[in-house]
Amino acid sequence: MPGSPSHTLDLAAMIAATMLPLASCLVILIAARSRPRLCAALSIGSATIALVCSIALMALNSKMGAPIQFTTDFIASSGLNIGFGFLLDRLNLLMIVVVSSICFLVQVYSLGYMAGDSGFSRYYGFMSLFTWAMMSLSLSASLLQLYFFWELVGLSSYLLIGFWYEKFSATQAGKKAFIMTRAGDTAFFIGILVLFLHTGDLSIANLGSRAPLAHLSPSFLTLCALLIFGGIVGKSAQFPLLTWLPDAMEGPTPVSALLHSATMVAAGVYLFARLFPFFSLSAVAMSVFLAIGTISMLLASTMAMVSRDIKKVWAYSTISQLGFMIMALAAGGYFAGIFHLTTHAGFKALLFLCSGVFIHHFETNDVYELSRRGARRMLIPMVSMVLGAAALSGIPPLSGYFSKEAVMGSLAGLADPVWLAAGLTGVFLTAYYTFRLIFILLFPRKSEVSSAPSHESAPHTAPAMALPLIILATVTAVLGFFETPLKHFLENGMIPGIVTGVRVGAWPHMAALALALAGVALAWTEFGRKGAEQIGFIDRIPVLYRLFSERWYIDRFYALLVDLVVDRGLSRLCNLNDRKVIDGGIEGVCGATVESGKVTAVLQTGMVQYRLIVIFAVLALLSLYYYY
Amino acid sequence: MHMEPASFPFLSAILLSCIAGMFTILFIPEEKHRLIKQVSAVFSGICLLLTLYVFFAFNRRVGGMQFVENIPWIPSLGISYFNGVDGFSLPNLLLTGIVFFTGVLTMWELENRVKEYFALYFVLVAGVFGLFMSLDLFFIFVWYDVSLFPMYLLIAIWGTTRKEYGAMKLTLYLLAGSSLILPAIIFLWAKSGINTFSFVSLMHPGLFSPADQKFAFLLLFLGFGILAAVWPMHTWSPDGHVAAPHGVSMVHAGVLMKIGAFGVLRVAIMLCPLGWIYWAKLMAVLAVIGIIYGALVGLRQTDLKYVIGYSSVSHMGVVGLGLSTVTVEGLNGAVFQMFAHGIMTALLFSSVGYIYDRTHTKAIPELGGLSRIMPVASAFFILAALAGIGLPGLANFWGELLVFLAAFKVYPLFGVIAVVTLVVTALFMLRVVQKAFYGPQNPHFAGLKDLSPWLGTPRAILAAVLLILGLYPSLLFNVIRTASVPFMHGLPR
Repeated sequence: MPGSPSHTLDLAAMIAATMLPLASCLVILIAARSRPRLCAALSIGSATIALVCSIALMALNSKMGAPIQFTTDFIASSGLNIGFGFLLDRLNLLMIVVVSSICFLVQVYSLGYMAGDSGFSRYYGFMSLFTWAMMSLSLSASLLQLYFFWELVGLSSYLLIGFWYEKFSATQAGKKAFIMTRAGDTAFFIGILVLFLHTGDLSIANLGSRAPLAHLSPSFLTLCALLIFGGIVGKSAQFPLLTWLPDAMEGPTPVSALLHSATMVAAGVYLFARLFPFFSLSAVAMSVFLAIGTISMLLASTMAMVSRDIKKVWAYSTISQLGFMIMALAAGGYFAGIFHLTTHAGFKALLFLCSGVFIHHFETNDVYELSRRGARRMLIPMVSMVLGAAALSGIPPLSGYFSKEAVMGSLAGLADPVWLAAGLTGVFLTAYYTFRLIFILLFPRKSEVSSAPSHESAPHTAPAMALPLIILATVTAVLGFFETPLKHFLENGMIPGIVTGVRVGAWPHMAALALALAGVALAWTEFGRKGAEQIGFIDRIPVLYRLFSERWYIDRFYALLVDLVVDRGLSRLCNLNDRKVIDGGIEGVCGATVESGKVTAVLQTGMVQYRLIVIFAVLALLSLYYYY
Repeated sequence: MHMEPASFPFLSAILLSCIAGMFTILFIPEEKHRLIKQVSAVFSGICLLLTLYVFFAFNRRVGGMQFVENIPWIPSLGISYFNGVDGFSLPNLLLTGIVFFTGVLTMWELENRVKEYFALYFVLVAGVFGLFMSLDLFFIFVWYDVSLFPMYLLIAIWGTTRKEYGAMKLTLYLLAGSSLILPAIIFLWAKSGINTFSFVSLMHPGLFSPADQKFAFLLLFLGFGILAAVWPMHTWSPDGHVAAPHGVSMVHAGVLMKIGAFGVLRVAIMLCPLGWIYWAKLMAVLAVIGIIYGALVGLRQTDLKYVIGYSSVSHMGVVGLGLSTVTVEGLNGAVFQMFAHGIMTALLFSSVGYIYDRTHTKAIPELGGLSRIMPVASAFFILAALAGIGLPGLANFWGELLVFLAAFKVYPLFGVIAVVTLVVTALFMLRVVQKAFYGPQNPHFAGLKDLSPWLGTPRAILAAVLLILGLYPSLLFNVIRTASVPFMHGLPR
């Protein structure tokens, strides 16, 4: 395949889109740290080229048939024959466009948000690192290569969450994110190794075609699928590894928009879609995935209902929307899952960037505080945020409505109605917690406003920050209407024989819409209408409130686990063993040697009596020996 | 085995430049510190260039033993001055060259007994170089002891925490190791019946009976294993690391521990392959215990150097696990990991050295916020710590990948344990980074300066090696396979 002019062009575009951000990262971190403006220019420049290349690739290959692949044997000489290179098909064409455009917009936005920060250059260095890793992850040709970049996006996440490293909570959150995703990645890594040992092949294209897997036993496939899914659970913050994501909000808000909502955490879902044919070989695994997606979706929604921190609400909602995507994919809705990923990337980035404007201006994350100080008067971010929130809740005609309906459609195709019921509950909860936040922001309580009158003039939004908002808001408004062309584009690339979505009647769609509106209405009565006390129904039930705000005690459980089992248990035991048993034993031997030396030294003191005794004793022993 | 005589005695030239360096230093007046350091840098630089030349001139197509020099010394006992490098020793030779040179630069600020320090340092490294290139068992033993005795002085005189204790413990342990190795070598010499210490002649298959191999292997494995900090014979190593001056810690953790692993590979495994196969399970068990145990003990340490010391125990366990799998991948991974770990710990100790010289403390709770005060020095430490976690893009990842792959093939359960330990390793490395480098700045250290470009050079070299091999591992794998593939091919089954 390589050789024809258009494919050479493809290759060049892919190399430019992945390697330039790497070059920019290295130049920034090694040489250009003292020149912040140059750093920003380099980083944004490389992101722009990545975006242009991605769009060009999309345009060049809009009618592509078979996937295009370029690989070389990277470490073949070690007995390991794994191709490294690029794989380009319809799925990752879409993915790289999403990734590069959000990367670009967030980096432009950061010009305003990070202005004047002492780590400005470092920030753009890490951003380039992320762009490189994420683009390369999307274009990876083999699972090992994907894992390679998977860990590197984890690294950039760690570095960016702990970006303000003087803050204890930030470094703590970064560490937690790294360790928790690492725990999931361990399963992923084991899955890769086991799969490689049994098939000798990790090429994603081959895993998609199912041919090399035909001879494997179903239980083995299930095992591999579950292990690999461990990585998805970690990266996409699904149950039980979901608590790192809300903590990750300690990072700068543009980072939360880019990594922790739109792109990096979606990498888990992307991997699911990437290996969809492989995963769908095991029905058992798929039903486990469905359950995990559902549990995460519901748990995170409940947590979002009681949070006062604007970023944490969006973080919980990210977990829950990722749960929706995984539910859709696990239910066989290949297109629904990816479509929701795409629309979610747009509106969630929008929501975060809007919140960033508020946080940047008012320097607080607390919703009530923001409301009291007049966040509603910032026109562009407030309007965009309402738009994004409506999309998140699934209100037509915004993008989220279409994708959520698609998800519901695929859930309705399942035999067991419980999944659809859970999904519909999720839709209701989503609309409720989203509009709870919006109404709090829009309608500050009278008593508080009067107690702290604000004399500030209508705050101004920096152009670098406003422009990305407008673009994303536009995308959120129109993306939904591209559902049909996108569906054709993606499903033509699928391997025939996989059922992606079943025709169902219109009632689930109507129910979803009705529940979304009901959620908004409930939020209105509790938080919006005149004279509302702005106390949610959960707040009135202390048990539930505690449970939800303590995140179902999942964090406590992990802290206890690490503290009791690892730190105070195993680690202490091993340490004691080292000091007392091993060192103690050795020192005992040494001491005994010295002591025995003292004993024998007595024989050598030179006193005649002792010498005579020794001579006598030796002679006696010798004579006994010869006698017998 | 293919043998290619050297057109020019490059290997002897490496040894000679160490010895010439030592004598030149001895002839410089005591008080000319600067000149002594410059001379040390020049001679260690020559060594590095020579090892680099040998590394790149090594013919990767042909493999076998290259740059061979063979001069009979005591023919009646079959002892000869016999040098050569193959795919197993070449990475170690390069590692020694890099750590040697960067170790000299790391100690650039030494003011106490400079002359003696560098003279002894050159003797130490000469012993290490000699051991890696020697193909004569007698000389291997001699070089082992040559590298041992300067170590004691270097730690006891220039060391820091509990230095007499650390130095004595290290010396006793390593002497215990050599007391196991010497009888094993004599045993092999006597049993062979061909009156030679030549490694190449002794490698002839079928020379030793299976029972002899099992016996000799065990002695050699335990003897060299002490030096490789195989659990439970590891406690000398963290104590020694901590007590040693920074440049010596670099050689100690970076190279000396590799001597142990290399000795197991070169002498024990290659001469007694049947013993290897017989005892492989034991090796694997000890290695896996070392991996998890080192990480767990590391979690509780509060001294920066102890943390690195215990992480070394864990990482050398990975080497041991690779060697115990009896597979090509395992050998490749183990040798790669030896190299990667050497560079990584050298970088860690080099960074800690800089920090300790400024702050006069290694206690993690007393540090804090160093990233703000010395961002470059901190960045080097963090980079090395990330390599230690096994992050892709840095050298250690590839070594671990191959070892784990081989382990999954042979001992799936051990593979799982070793991979899961990566989480614990990440936990303790990141804790150290968080406590020492992040957080609010400690006011005591406010005025401290960051690395100057000159002092940054050794750290930058080490960091660059980690990155280059992380992105292009074939550079090293191409060399290692020239030894591992033929050796595994010729293995009696």
